[in-house]
Amino acid sequence: MTRLPHKPASSTRGWRLRTKLIVSMLLVGIVPLLVGLGMAFWQGSKEIHEVSGESFKALATEAARKLDILMAEEIARTSRIATDPLIVRELERRRDALLGQPEATAAALGDLRNKWEARDPAAVKALTENPLARLLHEYYSGARSEPDQLIPQVVRGATKMLFITDIRGNLTAALTTTPPFANGKSPWWQGAFHKGVGQLYIEDVHFDQRVDTYVFSISLPIMDSLRYETVGVLHRVIDAKEFFSPSTHPIRFGKTGHVMLIDSRGIVMSCPILPTGVSLSDNSLIPLVTPMHPGWTAAPSDGHGGRSSSIIGFAPLPETSRATNGSLDGGSWHTFVWQSSDELFAPIRHLFTWMTVFGLIALSLLATLGYLAATRIVTPVRQLQQAAQSIGRGELRHSIEINTGDELEALAEEFNRMNKQLEAAFAGLTDQVTLKTQEVQYLQRSTDQILDAVPTPVLIVDDQETVQYVNRTGREAFRLGDDPDAVGRLFEILPVEPSQQQRLRQELWKQRTAETPSAPLPDEPAPADQVRDPLAPRAGAAPGGRQGELHLGPHVYQYQWFRVSGRPGESDRIGLVLRDSTDDSRMQEKLVQAEKSGSLGVLTAGIGHELNNPLFGILGLGEALQEERDPARVKSYAQDIVEQGKRMAAIIRDFTGVATRETSDQRQTVHLEREIEQALAAVTGSLGTPELIVERHYAGDTTVSALPDQLRQAFTNLLMNAVQAMKGKGRLCLSTTVAGDSVVTTIVDTGSGIPKHHLSKIFDPFFTTKGQGEGSGLGLTVARRIIRKFGGDIRLESVEGAGTSCIVTLPVIPPPAPSPKEESWTASERQALQQPSHS
Amino acid sequence: MDRFGASGVAAAVAFLTVGLWWGTAVYSAREEPKPAGISPERVAGFVHAVLQAHRTIYTTHIVNRLQEKGVVAAAEHWEQENALPLPAQFLQHSGRLVAESGQGIRYRLIGLSPIYQRNAPATDFERKALESLNRAPDAPVTGIVSSGRKQYFQAIYPDRAVSTACIGCHNSHPLSPKRDFKLNDVMGGIAITIPIE
Repeated sequence: MTRLPHKPASSTRGWRLRTKLIVSMLLVGIVPLLVGLGMAFWQGSKEIHEVSGESFKALATEAARKLDILMAEEIARTSRIATDPLIVRELERRRDALLGQPEATAAALGDLRNKWEARDPAAVKALTENPLARLLHEYYSGARSEPDQLIPQVVRGATKMLFITDIRGNLTAALTTTPPFANGKSPWWQGAFHKGVGQLYIEDVHFDQRVDTYVFSISLPIMDSLRYETVGVLHRVIDAKEFFSPSTHPIRFGKTGHVMLIDSRGIVMSCPILPTGVSLSDNSLIPLVTPMHPGWTAAPSDGHGGRSSSIIGFAPLPETSRATNGSLDGGSWHTFVWQSSDELFAPIRHLFTWMTVFGLIALSLLATLGYLAATRIVTPVRQLQQAAQSIGRGELRHSIEINTGDELEALAEEFNRMNKQLEAAFAGLTDQVTLKTQEVQYLQRSTDQILDAVPTPVLIVDDQETVQYVNRTGREAFRLGDDPDAVGRLFEILPVEPSQQQRLRQELWKQRTAETPSAPLPDEPAPADQVRDPLAPRAGAAPGGRQGELHLGPHVYQYQWFRVSGRPGESDRIGLVLRDSTDDSRMQEKLVQAEKSGSLGVLTAGIGHELNNPLFGILGLGEALQEERDPARVKSYAQDIVEQGKRMAAIIRDFTGVATRETSDQRQTVHLEREIEQALAAVTGSLGTPELIVERHYAGDTTVSALPDQLRQAFTNLLMNAVQAMKGKGRLCLSTTVAGDSVVTTIVDTGSGIPKHHLSKIFDPFFTTKGQGEGSGLGLTVARRIIRKFGGDIRLESVEGAGTSCIVTLPVIPPPAPSPKEESWTASERQALQQPSHS
Repeated sequence: MDRFGASGVAAAVAFLTVGLWWGTAVYSAREEPKPAGISPERVAGFVHAVLQAHRTIYTTHIVNRLQEKGVVAAAEHWEQENALPLPAQFLQHSGRLVAESGQGIRYRLIGLSPIYQRNAPATDFERKALESLNRAPDAPVTGIVSSGRKQYFQAIYPDRAVSTACIGCHNSHPLSPKRDFKLNDVMGGIAITIPIE
């Protein structure tokens, strides 16, 4: 049974579930709480804004109305002085005097002015105690006023200057000595005189140095008795703070709420907090609070130096504003109602604080209850989790005890039932595993025994060239211990030369990287169908270097690689089969020698036979010559002798190529077709084949790497068989075709063919169907031996009674570059036949 | 508004024409040993005709029409309330403009029951004139008055309630002392004052 690696159960997992549950409960509680708090705060703030704004607006309007009436009353009181007939008549008189004798009056006025400014007692008396001045005193003290028209004490105190000018602005009468004498150029005088038409002129608050305080002034034109034109101006300078504070200062609400009076420039005229004459702290506030209609605004600052958002109510003083600086456009007065936002928003802040406190209490309650609830849920879940882990390890021995009475209890029961079923299933599995293990062990033993019984060494090597297994033969051959799993390096066990090590490593690497294990060649007969020459190389040994030879001391080994599938997840291993071929090589050499000797016998007989005919011809002609007298005949005989001699010489020359240069062991580049032709010439020459038709279909001048003598011998053997099979007559087809990197030579005869039961034995040595002395039974054996030596192979196909095809495959050397001469090789049979004669 | 502007310009042109003509007449009268033949009564009559015409146009063709169509109303505090001046205010303000122009001629509305005391008769002559106009409103009361050494010709023409706007305001204003005016009643007078050198 395979056990997967198991993570230890994390104790934090249960806590995570509990955390999630608590967080969920908290969220369910907190989100509505926060939303509710936020909305309550937002709505509350909005309502406070609205309510406060409207209240402030109403208060500002009311205060403005009150102050407007205050001003109107004051103007009315002042205008009573201005319309006094005594004053009017006196001023008419002065006007007439000024207009009647301009020069004299001007000089007198200039003199009076100098004296007044020098505080000359006579001048002071003339202006402060004349009849007009006395009238002013009476009005000021209330002596000339009706009881309901008395100037209130406060106003009286606030009046800093009260004086009358004539139509040139010159001081005519004054209460005190403070007023200036010439006022014709001052704005208030020009505003009130107004080109003789006259109008009320209220001057904005400003600092007056003569009375050393912030003042505003009321200037009233004194009209003539017809109200036709202005005959003088009554000017009254009033201390702004003293005048307005009794009206504005009592209006207080809360700790900071108050009413103040400002003008359109933002200058404070009266404020319980700010001094009179200063400007509002924030200039951007001024346009917000000085429109010509009542209202309220939420401003970014409070005008009193604070930068907090404030609610400000405001309202203009309409009647007074109409007269300030001559007109509505010249300036206006406004009330300003403000309360510190700290105080204003205190209730909503209290509400917020309390809601936060209650929210926190609710939160802690939620957390506590959530913890309890989560614990109640999580504990059985964790129990179940641990039980599941135990089941996974196969260690759960006791049933799970959960008594919650809900789905969790049902789940625990399911777990218990599952555990029981699993235990039963595992019991059966364990038995099966034991059985299979025994089987595997048995198989392993069998494999070891089989491998040990194999008479050739077998090694299994892994990626790292470490030998993992050596069978018994191998252990004996390489003198290793008895343990088949003895581990050692490959080249420690096989101490071969470095060059061979290199080659073996490359082959090993090729084997490892090869996609598929060695597969039999497509044309190769299945090993089971083949009767194998035990001396011939192993069938199925793939060409291309997988099989090679190893020289280990005196021993020569043939070896072959094979792949052994690895375990799942592991790489394949490589097997190496070695075969001791030391004895094979020696036997083969002897065989070749014997074959050569056998062939020599046949050849000798052939040569003898061939030479006999012309020799007997020569002997006959020689005898005839001895008796012949006719010189023409003699010449004819002599010619015949020469012909016969030439024929013999040709025969000898042709045969010399077969047996020569036995000693040459160096492979050369051999022209295959030429060697075939030479072999054919030798065979036909020795056997005498007048009725033989030879057809040639050559691919061209194909070159192979071989020993020419041995190659020619192989073809001689094959052609000999073919010609002998046809008994010297019939059609012999010779063809070469180049296919890829090999050349296929086909020899097709029209002989009797080979019976099927012989077909499997024809390559066996000493097997022959020929009569005694005709064949050694080694021809095909030797031929195949030679061809295979050069990297090729021979195959025979035969149809009994119809003929035999002999197919020879040899590796080809690619021609360097085709030349016209080589191309002409196949063009002319004659040329082909003549080629060998030059050798 | 165009119409108002146009009538304003017309009024100014007419007034200037009259004023210049009169001024020239006065000037030439000074040059000549004998004054040219026009009496201050006639001058006052011209001025009164122009004033009446302008105010009637303003009242009927501007204020009444705009109020009926609901475009804009006339109100006492017209500057703050973005409204039209009342016809009486129209005349008072135009009189102010004329006074400021320095031509010497002045006119104003006066009444025995004014909303504002400043519009009450300034002199006994004015009071008596108003009282006599109440009884016989067909002709103006004229006379020579003096302020100090200055002498003036004064003509006081009766002023009737020409539209409902007049009586509506005077009958409902909190400061109004008399609240039973009816249409076409003599509510007061237009006092035209011309200085005499």
